[in-house]
Order: sequence, then structure tokens, then C-alpha cells
Amino acid sequence: MVDGLRLRAAALGAFLVLTTVPGAAAPADLPNLGSNVTVGKLSAGGTVIVRPAQGAPVAAVELWYRAPSTGFGPKPEPSLARLAAQVVAASKPLVGDSLGKVVGDLGGRLTITVYSDSIAVAAVVPAQGARAVVKSMTTAFFAPVVTDDGFRLAERDVEQEALFTGFDPETVVRDAIFGQLFTDGPQHFPALGNPKDVSAIGIADVRSFAMRAFRSPNAVLVVSGSVDPSVAEAAVGGRSGEADVDPEAPAVPTLAAAAAPVSRTFVQPSGGYGWVGPAIADEREATAMDFIADYLFRTDDGLVSKEVARRYPDAFLVGNFITLHDPGVMFVAYAGKDADAVKALVDDGFAKVRVPLDAQAFASALAQFEYHMRSDLQTPTEIADNFGWYSVEGAPDYAPGANGEDGAYFKAAASLTSAFVASVADRYLSKDPVVVTMHPDVPKAKEKSQ
Amino acid sequence: MTHAFLRPLAVGALGLSALLALPAAASAPPARYPQAFATDLGVTKLIGETDTDAPIAGVQIFVAAGLDREGPKQSGVSSLVAECLERTPVDGVPLRDAVAAHGGSMSYTVDGRSIHYYFESDPERLPAVIGMFARALAAPDFSPATVAAARVALVQRAGEGEANALAVGIAMFRQSYYLSGAGMPAYGSTTSLAQLGPADAAAFFGATYKRPALSASAVGKLVPGLGDALKSLADVLPDGTVAATQGRTRVIPAEAPRIVAHRDVSAPWVVVGFAAPAPDSKDFGAMLVLESLLAGAFDRNSTTTLGFVEKSVGAFYLYDSSPASLVVYVNGSETEPSVALREVLVVSRSLSLKPLGTAALEHFKTAAEGRFMTDSVNVSDRSYLLGTFAAQGLGPDAINAALGALERTTAADVQRVAKKYLQRYIVALVLPRQTPSQ
Repeated sequence: MVDGLRLRAAALGAFLVLTTVPGAAAPADLPNLGSNVTVGKLSAGGTVIVRPAQGAPVAAVELWYRAPSTGFGPKPEPSLARLAAQVVAASKPLVGDSLGKVVGDLGGRLTITVYSDSIAVAAVVPAQGARAVVKSMTTAFFAPVVTDDGFRLAERDVEQEALFTGFDPETVVRDAIFGQLFTDGPQHFPALGNPKDVSAIGIADVRSFAMRAFRSPNAVLVVSGSVDPSVAEAAVGGRSGEADVDPEAPAVPTLAAAAAPVSRTFVQPSGGYGWVGPAIADEREATAMDFIADYLFRTDDGLVSKEVARRYPDAFLVGNFITLHDPGVMFVAYAGKDADAVKALVDDGFAKVRVPLDAQAFASALAQFEYHMRSDLQTPTEIADNFGWYSVEGAPDYAPGANGEDGAYFKAAASLTSAFVASVADRYLSKDPVVVTMHPDVPKAKEKSQ
Repeated sequence: MTHAFLRPLAVGALGLSALLALPAAASAPPARYPQAFATDLGVTKLIGETDTDAPIAGVQIFVAAGLDREGPKQSGVSSLVAECLERTPVDGVPLRDAVAAHGGSMSYTVDGRSIHYYFESDPERLPAVIGMFARALAAPDFSPATVAAARVALVQRAGEGEANALAVGIAMFRQSYYLSGAGMPAYGSTTSLAQLGPADAAAFFGATYKRPALSASAVGKLVPGLGDALKSLADVLPDGTVAATQGRTRVIPAEAPRIVAHRDVSAPWVVVGFAAPAPDSKDFGAMLVLESLLAGAFDRNSTTTLGFVEKSVGAFYLYDSSPASLVVYVNGSETEPSVALREVLVVSRSLSLKPLGTAALEHFKTAAEGRFMTDSVNVSDRSYLLGTFAAQGLGPDAINAALGALERTTAADVQRVAKKYLQRYIVALVLPRQTPSQ
């Protein structure tokens, strides 16, 4: 393994100290992600992944972090991670412009997404702006500056986002399911709370969270697109003395002993299910769960999705297996006036996958699944998202796209059989799920009269 | 909401002034897409962009059977034909399912000038997928049952559009601006679709699906069999002539007509529609700059990028129809619409009165280029742009030609184009229903 280790600090600037070049075997602590992917260590700790690609002259620049959405303190603060990331991106550093302005001036797009135990800061920009964005993003996050102006701007933005999210059935149902599946840890709470949660957070908490969560050793910097590996030279170093600090460990949630149903109010009739699934380390099982979600719920093409669209065109339906460190979660959310009928179709769908599909149906479904995997890897953002997500969840080699079609994910997909998929469905999806049911508010006077 | 609007507007105005004082950015080498090429397939051409890193390949097959070919009583017929083709049996299953079972996908989009079918799959399988489409074209299923199923699907899709205030506003403007079928809704309406039967679908197909009406553009790892597959597909269609369409539009009067509709929306939306130059016009680059300027100049100063529902003001340059148009929208849930509308019109006028400063021009050109590129990343979007730009006179390397037009744009161009196109407009107002009967 030592053969592949390159000391390229001189070539890539002072900030990259260890790099495995494309095609070389990776050093022990760096994953080998393929012949066209460069993986390295940032000088102040943390990982950098560069995946050049021809095609559109754009680049995705993403910073991924392992950090609890509710903060590190004993008292959970929903939205803290989301607000902190927004404040840092909005705050003008001592030198230069804020990250938001740098990306905006390039005509690019900046998004910040917070999950239960991870954060993604993602920009897509014209390729000639990639270096400037790598520099700006690492400057902003590795040594975060939190200004009053940045805080005010970010607070307004995140409050508005929280308001919008409160009307999104997918988010509301997923949060309810996670809240019931896990009794503690960040998974128990919404990653983005309601606007009141946001306004309750003070600047001191934001600063404290940012200083710990956004350290360079805790970062995975991913750049993908029309760039060459030297784009990583633009990354700045972190704060001094941090290089040997370990990244954050994944949160260890406590599973609920029994799956209790949840009933809540929401703006429209909605519902969903959630089951605990395999950990990311169980690659074949996790891939089988992805296959099931694709087969049943792929937008436009899924077995259940197509039937719901045909019978209930106004209904909303989404189903995913969320690959997480341990455990993963299969969840389904639906909404609309026909929610009960949609639920029945969802039940039918799950029943179908608990027995092996016939050979022809399975071959067709697998061909579609493999096509969908490829189709979902065609943009720099999709590639960077995969590397970032699977890195923070602890299995970068398993990321779809790592090592191309010879990689672990594609191999796991190719190894699936109808019987194996059914056995995985039976193992995880035969248990009682958490069931969420939501109905519109009923005025009390009306309630009494019913 | 008024105060919330005034603050970002002030920021926007200050931003424009401040930009005049900015030093011009150092010039970087222009970014380019991989060079595209044209392959002569006999009657038609394939415009292609090779991208060997793309895990899939995609091909757009354009047929000159878009909205501008629909007659006054045919609204929705182009989509109806497409829906029937998707349902035409191939190997015993509907074409769309046959393509999916083969590890691919198909979709279609009707626009002003054409209908374009998009097929995507593993590169090696793409010729076979196109072969499936050829078989459907050879024997399209316009049976009453298939037409009825297609009609149901279109009514659903038309209904989805009715719930989107921006889509409704744009459709209102188009209907008012275009005198040809280009102004009609892509999926028709419940009323128009009810009038269309198997004979109408077959007649429209017979009149428009001719070999010379076909063109194709592809992106990805393009295998040798692709050209042959497209040639075979063209051979399925009859020869014939494709009459030129007249891109007739209304002359927009100086007094700015207003059209009003009520829908089940929570807040009013305003869509202001302008005439705009075609992609092969010398004004094209300047209009891209104006689109970017109008889309970004009024927004609240958000750090992360806002979606169209969150934006208070946005703009879209619609070059899918001939002549093209530009729409600027105001989202009444984010801002006070009458104030915002006034500001948009003031800026539109002022852009025609004096040229942008050097730094401001470079700023908006950079933003326009970035927006153009980041909107055109996946294989579907790139192949569409290649095909539609090539068909509108930008040559085979059409996307790069569009970027070149943007880069050559001067401040005088922007001023001239603002003066030429932004002084007359149609205002479409989409208002919440006040009573159930509205």
C-alpha cells in the first residue's frame, strides 16, 4: 500500500500533504475510489476527493461534515447545524467576500443541506470559478467567522426555509418517523425545526457549533466536474494545531423498543411508514433495499408510483431507503385526499417484494435499477453528493461511482437475485413499521359536532 | 410584506450603483463544452457531443410537429400523438415500458417549434432503444382505447399546470402574444382534448411526421450504431415536404395590455411578457444578459440560491418558440406585486436609456454565463440545447456558439436590445379566487 502513497505537497501546494493519485493503490487511511479519482489529505486534517470529468464546463464544490443537526451540547437545539452553516456562508470574512457572494457573482448555485448527523455545503459553478470557490468555501468554514450581519441574514433565510419545510409532507412525515424510530440522538429530532426553533438560537451557540463542527479534520472536500486535481491547491489550511484531531464520531442513536403509531395534524391528509434497515457496512443488503425502493417508488417508473399516478394523479408519494452508518431506514410518505387508498397500494407493493419476483420481472427491474444508477451519476453534483454522503457515513468505497462500474455498489447490484431481495425484504420489512397518520386541523367546535 | 420587499430592492439598487465602481475582473479563458459535430445521415443530420465520461447517452429526436403546427381546433393534438406513441405496443408492451425493460427511459416535450422525444440509456443499448421507437412510428396505435388513455393522461397534466401560478401566467402571455398555435397550451385543455379523437391524432401524425421534419442531437459516448439507428428511424417515415410555419405574433401595443385570471393560488403572481430575439440574432447574447439581470437584480439578498417559488422576481428567456419571448415574473407571496412590477418596468426603461458600466456589464455577463452553464449540465438538457440551437441557425457547435454570443456582448448591445424589446409588454395577472364561482 505504501507504493501508492505520494508526497505531493510540493506539487499541490502546502495544503495537501498526502495524496493517492488516480490509478494508484491508496494508502491505508485513504480510500481507493478509482482510476479517475484523486484522494488526499488536507494539511490541517480532513479528506479531499477530486473527480475530474469532461462534459459541461461546470464544477461541483462540496464540503461535507459529520455533525449532529441538534448541536453538541446536552440540550438538543433543532436547526442549530442548519443555521450555523448558513451564518458562516453569509458572513464576510476578514479578507474577501462571503461564500454566498462569491458563488452568486459567478452565476452559480449554493445550497446547504442538513441531515440528522451530517451537513453538506454544495456549490455548482462554471469550471473556471472552481478554484475561487474552493478557496472561499474552505476559508469560510475551516476558520469560521460569524458576524452579526451574517447571523441576521442567515436567521431570516433559515426561518423562511423552516416555514416552507413545514408544508412539505415528505419532510414532515420523515421527521415524525425518525422521531419515533429513535428515542434519542439527533435522529430523534427534525434536522430543521420550525421557525421558532430557529429564532431561539443565539449567536454564541452558532459560533461554538461552527468552531467545532466545521474544523478541517472533520471535513470531506469533494470537487467534481471539468477540473483537474490541482484544483485542491486552492483549499486553505485549517486552524493551527488541528491536523491530528480526530473527526467527529457518528451519533449512536437508541432504537425504540416498540414501533408506536403516530397521529398528528398537518395541512393535508398524509401518512407514511418507517422501518429500520441494514447498516451501510452490509453492502449487499443495503443495495437490495435501494433496489426495492427503486422498483416500487422510483418517480414515474416505480411499480407503486405508476399505479398511484394513474389512479390518483393528485396524490404525492415518495419512498426511499436512506443509507446511513447504522442503521439505515426505509421510509415512505404519501399525501393527498386519497391518502388511504394510496396506503393500500403501498401495502400491496411491499407484499409483492416479500416474495421472489419471477425471472422476467426481476431481470427487467434489475436492468432499470442499473440504468437509474447510471443516470443518477451524470452531473458533477450527483457525483460529488455520492462521494460526500458515503464518506461521512463511513463507506466511501461503496459510493455509487467509486471505481466506476467495477466498484462495490455496482458489483453489489449485479449480485442481487430475486430470492435474496425477497429475503432482505422479509427480514426488515415484515416487522411492524412505525406508522404515521396526519390529518388537517379540525376546528374544535366542528369536532364537537361530529 | 411591503417592508420585506423594499429592503431587498434597496439592496438591489445599491448593488447596481456599487457595481459601477467595481474594477473589471481579470479575464479568464472562456469555458467551453466539448466541441459538437454534425453527421450527415442523408435526409437528416445528427448533431453530437462526445462525452466519454457520461455513464449514459441521450438522444433528442426532434419532429417539426410542435404547437405551431396545431390548428385552432387542435389544441393538444401534438401531445396526444406523443402519448399514443408512448402507448404503442412494441414486443407486446407499450413502447415506454419496453424501453424501460431494456434499461432506458423515454420522455417527450412539446414546444412552440417542435416536439422532441428524449431517449436515454447505456450507450451500447441506445441504438436498440431507438429501434423500438422506429417500430412504434411505423405502426402507431391510434385506437380509440389508446387515444382515450392518452387523453386522460393529458387532462391530468394540464390540470397540474393549472395549479402552478407561474405556468398559468406564462401560458396567458403566450396565448395573448402568439397568433399561431405556438401560444396554445402544450397539453391542450379538457375542452379541446374532448374534441380530439383517433382520426385527429392520425391526421396530425400523417401530416407532420415526415422524414424531412426529423432531426436529432445526442450527447454521451456515441457508439457507431447510433447513426444507423437514426437513419433507419428516418426511413420509417414517409418522404414529403414540411411547410414553413409563420411565426405570427401580435404587435404589442404601447398601452401594455393586461389580462387577468383567477386560480386557486394563495397569492397574486404577475407575469410580464416581452418580445425577444431568436438565438441566431445578433441580439441573442444581449438578451441573455438582460435575462440574468432581471432575474437577479431584485431578489432579497439570500446566501443560498432560491428556488422560483422563493424568489420575489425572476425571468425566463423562452427561445423554444419562434419568435422568442422573455417573461419576468413577480411572486406576490414574497413581495408587494404592484411595487415590484413598477420597479421591473422602471429598470427595463432605464436600461434602454444609458449603457451599463464596464464592471456592471462584466458582472452580469459572468452571472448570465454561469446561469446558462449551470442550467445545462445533464445529458438531457445539453442534447436539447444542441438540437434547438442548431435548428435555429447557431451551427453544429451550437452551445458554444451561444456562449460566444454572450461573451461578445457589449454595453451598447445591451442598451440597444433593451430599447428594442423591453419597452412594450403584456401583463398577465394571476389572482387568488375570491369566490368559488370565479
